[in-house]
Amino acid sequence: MSRLVKEFAKGLWDELPPFRVLLGLCPTLAVTSTAENGLGMGLAVIFVLTMSNLIISTIRKIIPAKVRIACFIVITASLVVTVELLMQAYAYPLYQKLGIFVPLIVVNCLILGRAEAFASKNGIVLSIADALGMGIGFTASLTFLGAVREILGNGTVFGTQVMWSSFEPAAFMVMAPGAFVGLGVILAGMNAFNRYNSRRKGETPPDVMNSSCAHCGACGAAGGGIENLKDK
Amino acid sequence: MREILHMLVVLSLICATSGAVLVNLKQATKSQIEQQVLTYVQGPALLSVLENRDNDPIKERVTIKDITVFPAMKDGELVGIALESFAPGYSGDIGVMVGFDVKKDELLGIGITTQTETPGLGTRIMADSFTGKFKSHGLESMQVTAKGGDIDSIAGATYSSVGTVDAVRKAIEVYQSIKPEINLIWKKS
Repeated sequence: MSRLVKEFAKGLWDELPPFRVLLGLCPTLAVTSTAENGLGMGLAVIFVLTMSNLIISTIRKIIPAKVRIACFIVITASLVVTVELLMQAYAYPLYQKLGIFVPLIVVNCLILGRAEAFASKNGIVLSIADALGMGIGFTASLTFLGAVREILGNGTVFGTQVMWSSFEPAAFMVMAPGAFVGLGVILAGMNAFNRYNSRRKGETPPDVMNSSCAHCGACGAAGGGIENLKDK
Repeated sequence: MREILHMLVVLSLICATSGAVLVNLKQATKSQIEQQVLTYVQGPALLSVLENRDNDPIKERVTIKDITVFPAMKDGELVGIALESFAPGYSGDIGVMVGFDVKKDELLGIGITTQTETPGLGTRIMADSFTGKFKSHGLESMQVTAKGGDIDSIAGATYSSVGTVDAVRKAIEVYQSIKPEINLIWKKS
């Protein structure tokens, strides 16, 4: 049970997809011009991620190792087309806003990453917990970034005015560069917070932004950084 | 050999299953998607050209000779119809929903449904100041002033204006060619 909680919770902070492990940055940057778009994209990703983790962990024993990536992609692509069709049929205005980024969920690293790193090695229940945690973390991150950009760039959240009437919106924030600036500031803020937190607890501050794979564990490079990979 | 066969079979099975699921889903959602596209793409333009009515033109649409015709009814009588036509603008096709007054044989108005014109220049064809020129326009002399008609093109957006006018002229031709069918369907309803 504790394992289940741990796999679910890791996606909410420790391995928060866009802001900690920096996966799925394409939609993070591209669709978060408003909080509503971020939420919509996040919900689509939760659906695809949960279903793909479920299917892949169910059939993980019959997928041949050599063609596993191809299998994952076929499954993900089918799920994404499913989402696209359902969105067109029941939420057309959202589909019009997200546009090309719905089909692009196929190449979202987050989904393939969880399939490869988790669902293909773990049971169904754990995989679903992992997918839900990651998906909710992703959705919350996108909604948060979208809300920040919408407030600064438009003075609204989910379309409701929140800033005072004389507030002059910085249109820069809802355009592409605003996404990069917003993401960068959030990353810096999260790193600062984590360092402060670990220092307060008396631990050595984590070396957050080094390029080693030490705390990821997804592949053979785990534990020894990039050097380990070179030997293999 | 065994391994290759295994890979082939598994991958093919996964692909076949995906294909089967998607085909069924596509068919199941087809009519719903059509309805949504009509509501959100054609809908706004359609409802703005067919103002004086008491029915739902999208629900009561009829296909005549492969053309979707949207009727506007008032007190059980046909007052107008709308149909969509396309013509090339500056970049890509401009889709125009054209409304016709069936009694007076003139235009009720037009609304742009799809366009990919230059923002700020060509997109001005969507403004009321341009589309308003088509209101109550007769079916004749549908041309820009430069070509001897009476629609002033927008300065800086000649191609977009000509494209819109072309689309409207096409719609007029279609309207005149299907007029007997229209009268037949809604003669007494």
